[in-house]
Amino acid sequence: MRLTTVAWRNVWRNKRRSMIILVSIMVGVIATVLMDALSRGMIVQMLENQIRSHISHLQIHRDGFRDNPVIQATIPNADSVENALKAVQGISYSPRVLTYGLISSASNSAGIFLVGVDAEREKRITSVSASLVAGEYLTDKPNEAVVGEALAEKLGVGLGDRIVAMASAVDGHVGSDVFRIVGLFETFSSEFDKSTMYVPIANAQSMLALRGQVSEFALITSDLERLPAIQKTLKEQLGEKYEVYTYGEIVPLLLAVVDMYDQSMAIFYAIIGIALIFGIINTMLMSVFERIHEFGVLKAIGMPDSRLLMMVLLEALHLGVIGTALGFAIGYVLYIPLSHTGLDLRMFSEGLRSFGVGAIIYPVLTWGSVANALLIIPFISVLGALYPALRAAHLTPVSAIRHV
Amino acid sequence: MEQQLIRVENLEKLYQDNGVPVRALHEVSLSIGRGEFSAIAGPSGSGKTTLLNLIGALDKPTQGTIYFEGEDLSSKSKKELSSLRLHRLGFVFQAYNLIPVLTALENVEFAMMLLGIPDSERIRRATAIMEELGIAELAHKLPNKMSGGQQQRVAVARAIVTNPSVVLADEPTANLDSTTAHGLIELMERMNKEKNITFIFSSHDQQVLEHARRILVLKDGTLVNEINK
Repeated sequence: MRLTTVAWRNVWRNKRRSMIILVSIMVGVIATVLMDALSRGMIVQMLENQIRSHISHLQIHRDGFRDNPVIQATIPNADSVENALKAVQGISYSPRVLTYGLISSASNSAGIFLVGVDAEREKRITSVSASLVAGEYLTDKPNEAVVGEALAEKLGVGLGDRIVAMASAVDGHVGSDVFRIVGLFETFSSEFDKSTMYVPIANAQSMLALRGQVSEFALITSDLERLPAIQKTLKEQLGEKYEVYTYGEIVPLLLAVVDMYDQSMAIFYAIIGIALIFGIINTMLMSVFERIHEFGVLKAIGMPDSRLLMMVLLEALHLGVIGTALGFAIGYVLYIPLSHTGLDLRMFSEGLRSFGVGAIIYPVLTWGSVANALLIIPFISVLGALYPALRAAHLTPVSAIRHV
Repeated sequence: MEQQLIRVENLEKLYQDNGVPVRALHEVSLSIGRGEFSAIAGPSGSGKTTLLNLIGALDKPTQGTIYFEGEDLSSKSKKELSSLRLHRLGFVFQAYNLIPVLTALENVEFAMMLLGIPDSERIRRATAIMEELGIAELAHKLPNKMSGGQQQRVAVARAIVTNPSVVLADEPTANLDSTTAHGLIELMERMNKEKNITFIFSSHDQQVLEHARRILVLKDGTLVNEINK
């Protein structure tokens, strides 16, 4: 027999009351597990969509390009950058020409972000080629273009139609070319779809008077944890003429969104915790008040105040641990199929697209989320029992024994 | 001459009852020797329970001093008094007061668990004492499955299993029929003789008081008589 055995049996003195608090803990844990998994799934999807649609994990430019992304700020020596990239294991990379320009159709025009790409290499680092809703991706043929479906609608064009693209060339004149739309894409970002056009890199270089020069190398790694090390290696090898930025540095808002999510989950946990803690305080206070006489007897026998305190806290810990374990088990059972099928939120698809998230959310449960769920609620249970336990411990033996 | 175990000097106990001061004990002085089998007698409200509570360090006097084995109880902290009760005192209550979620054996073991005695030793000693008291068959029963007499025997086992210096029993037979009460007091007498444990019990039952070798009579909180047999 241990004190924990006595505490366990005390929990089940009033089965109904203990079941009620257990169920409330379970519901709280299920809610936090699923909410955490779904929200994290949204965040992961958003990050992945942003990274895979264009940003990539890492970008290399001429130093100063990020602050002043003009067409003249090309990579000083594309060959040396390629050589450095070839030496890095586990990455895919692609050269790009980037500029802002204007495209026009017969009926309309729009400002665009023009991206000249090596089609084969670009396919390995972005998901645009997999996001086509019509037509096909760029091939080796010149003067092909792939645009967002939303942009095509705005211009009143479709597959096979011609559009004219114009932009400032590197020598200051206005470069232009005619392109035939071969593919329409729809990504998870409606803003991206309305403003981006992909053309063969050779066409872009010709149009903008770039003699084999490129604006950027974009890179994807298969192991995100290696990204800081990859960045450091490339910076050291390429030197001060280049800037090497991770996606977090390129779009700090992305990481800010992740931070905001973590804080919002902390608030969610706090709300669930506050709701639970009052339930536990109430339950444990009732349990303590019902046993004042018994506590007096225990003190008379010689039970130290600290052991009495420990016993009451153990009772709450038992409830917290059991409720958490059961709640997590149920939450996990609900999570597993959802993680495969996803949660269909098509009714909110427009709103979700504006956040760069798809209509089907795949929940993601991380080890951190599991640890939070398994540790926080039992801790809250013990915290909730602290006041009742202190009340019990501070009873005077004779007044407790006299208590009816 | 018996060695003095407990010495009480000019004990006063006042408490408030709905704002009205009540004098439970007034200028009570006495001593209890080692190995005594003594009773505190008196009608209801005479201060018997109050005196036992003070001797047992469950309460503090308003005035006066209590010495236990030569140590002044008023100089001790809450923790020290708790330790004193655990190591050197045993209690038997009128209402048995067994822990309802523990079996008889576990109730007897409980104080030894608090003392940190290992499992096997606890069970051995608890089983032995229950056999001595003739209640071994109750080992795995919960209190609500036992009669009053059985519960009180388990309470006596609980009180003596730690080999205390003194067992304080407050009206231990009040809730028992006369036959059971008689049996319980004989049991306590036997433990007193065999183990030299000092027993101080309170009662207003004449049949029970007949077993005491010394009777201290209280009336209205004052020690009015002492009978030595």
